[in-house]
Amino acid sequence: MGMESYQQGIKGEELAEKYLSQLGYEILEKNFRSQQGEIDLVAKEGGFLVFVEVKNYSYRSLGKPAAVIKKSKKESIIHAARYYLYKNRIKNVNCRFDVITIYRGIDGSRKIELYRNAFFVN
Amino acid sequence: MLVKINSAAILGLEGYLIEVEVDVQRGLPGQSIVGLPDASVKESRDRVRAAIENSGFEFPAGYFTINLAPADTKKEGPLYDLPIALGMLLVSEQFSAKNLDDQVILGELSLDGTVRGVNGILPICLSLKDKGKKKVLVPRANADEAALVEGIEVIPVSTLKEAVDYLAGVKFISAHRVDIKALFCLEPDEGLDFSEVKGQGHVKRALEVAAAGGHNVLLVGPPGSGKTMLARRLPTILPQLSLSEALEVTKLYSVTGLLNGKGALITKRPFRSPHHTTSDIGIIGGGRIPRPGEVSLAHLGVLFLDEFPEFDRNVLEVLRQPLEDGKVTISRAHATLTYPAQFMLVAAMNPCPCGNYLDPVKVCTCSSFKVQRYWGKLSGPLLDRIDLHIEVPRLKKEELIHYPEGETSQEIRERVTKARELQRQRFQGSGTFCNARMTPKQIKEFCHLEGEAEALLKAAVLNLRLSARAYDRILKVSRTIADLDGSEKIRAEHVAEAAQYRSLDRKGGEYDVSGSISTSF
Repeated sequence: MGMESYQQGIKGEELAEKYLSQLGYEILEKNFRSQQGEIDLVAKEGGFLVFVEVKNYSYRSLGKPAAVIKKSKKESIIHAARYYLYKNRIKNVNCRFDVITIYRGIDGSRKIELYRNAFFVN
Repeated sequence: MLVKINSAAILGLEGYLIEVEVDVQRGLPGQSIVGLPDASVKESRDRVRAAIENSGFEFPAGYFTINLAPADTKKEGPLYDLPIALGMLLVSEQFSAKNLDDQVILGELSLDGTVRGVNGILPICLSLKDKGKKKVLVPRANADEAALVEGIEVIPVSTLKEAVDYLAGVKFISAHRVDIKALFCLEPDEGLDFSEVKGQGHVKRALEVAAAGGHNVLLVGPPGSGKTMLARRLPTILPQLSLSEALEVTKLYSVTGLLNGKGALITKRPFRSPHHTTSDIGIIGGGRIPRPGEVSLAHLGVLFLDEFPEFDRNVLEVLRQPLEDGKVTISRAHATLTYPAQFMLVAAMNPCPCGNYLDPVKVCTCSSFKVQRYWGKLSGPLLDRIDLHIEVPRLKKEELIHYPEGETSQEIRERVTKARELQRQRFQGSGTFCNARMTPKQIKEFCHLEGEAEALLKAAVLNLRLSARAYDRILKVSRTIADLDGSEKIRAEHVAEAAQYRSLDRKGGEYDVSGSISTSF
């Protein structure tokens, strides 16, 4: 991973944050990490605690990642989510996993898509 | 929050009640299914999710625990999709239902939310009725089948949405009814008739005798002589199935999922002709949770084994027990199940591997060793259970070209039905239902020979060196021939006809091939 893609990633996450705020998500945490996992964004929306994964892709990527998340990535997010709940002593709250995809075109334009309830534990 | 929905499962031919319990906890989203589900039950998770979303509902949040109680029996099949989906919608309060306890709900979901048909609905409904359940929600595809059971209210649903609307009281669905008498009386289109078979008068007569007494048959003849054609037409001369018999057959076909496209009720006697590469498990039934095999699918009908000696030896030997008992009991780790298997065995074979042995025109190229080995595949105990041995000679050219049309199946069937009726009266209350299944005691009682007939059989035994078992067979078959004749007594001509159907053991139990066949060719 070069510096460029890292910066694109940061930029993408900023963009996602802005986008979610517009939709009424209240961002609680960014880049939350546990020992074996990480979550890009933790937010609150309509009574749900939402764990958001941000996926960047561009005209250079092969195909469209959409909401498809690798199993290992899923496990990492779930691990972090469990740790988040434990650390903040959150119980009895409905949670959700959302995925945001950000497409960067050749001219630098971006397209954001949000997938609610994208995956489940198990 | 907890919701319970009644559903049902099937083990063998018995249905039993299953309670689908759905519980939801707040927390990370997900679900687990417990209660010994197999792969197809676990997969319902994904089907249910897609079906719920595509039916315009919201996939509910929270962690779901779905329990299929009782938790100690294995659950298989996709029939819990609908109760699970309804449970999840109820538990997330997307609708509310009254009188859930009264009904039993079954059905597979497709991804778009339509309810697909499932196997085994008829036996499940019969068992539910015994257990006092009055109402069942079934896939529309299974509605006719379920409605065959009287005294149960059948509500057919075609989509998840429709089921929800019905349970919520928004939509009324009237109970599905079928006229079982009308279904039963539908003259089945056989498509086959005995009059289509040219010549072979004596074979037709022998098959008539076999049908009348429920005897097993071995057809021996060169290729192209019409063995298969004749065997296929055997069900058309067997008596019509009674209503209870039709239900029995339908149950078996429902469990195996062979009912699709055959209508709700099978009114035709089954005809099964498994290929000779079929395994013993395929014939007898089996599997992790045993399923009916060919012998059970041929229940109350005909099991036709073409190229009889080509079947594996163990396949032929496993036939012995069902031939004797009329049922098969299969034991596996998960279950021991008994399936009915009262079938007529019709076996067909060539006289030798090349098929031309003792043919008046064509030349046989087999060595005598080869012929011996071919016949050696049929064990004595197995042949012992076959009452009639019939030679089917090749037709001559002139016979093929000019031959008057024979009798129709209908005419033969009338005689057969009459003979069977006589037997039914004779064996009333004894558990025997046809001459072929007479016990030694019954043979003594009902096959009494007098005068000329007795003398003839004695002479036959001496001259043809018949074995003791052949003796009993001849008695049984002559009883059937007498029944066809409408005669109370077994007369000499009946014995004479019966004796000629024992060509294979005229040598006293030794299957001397050349001796046996040459006598009639």
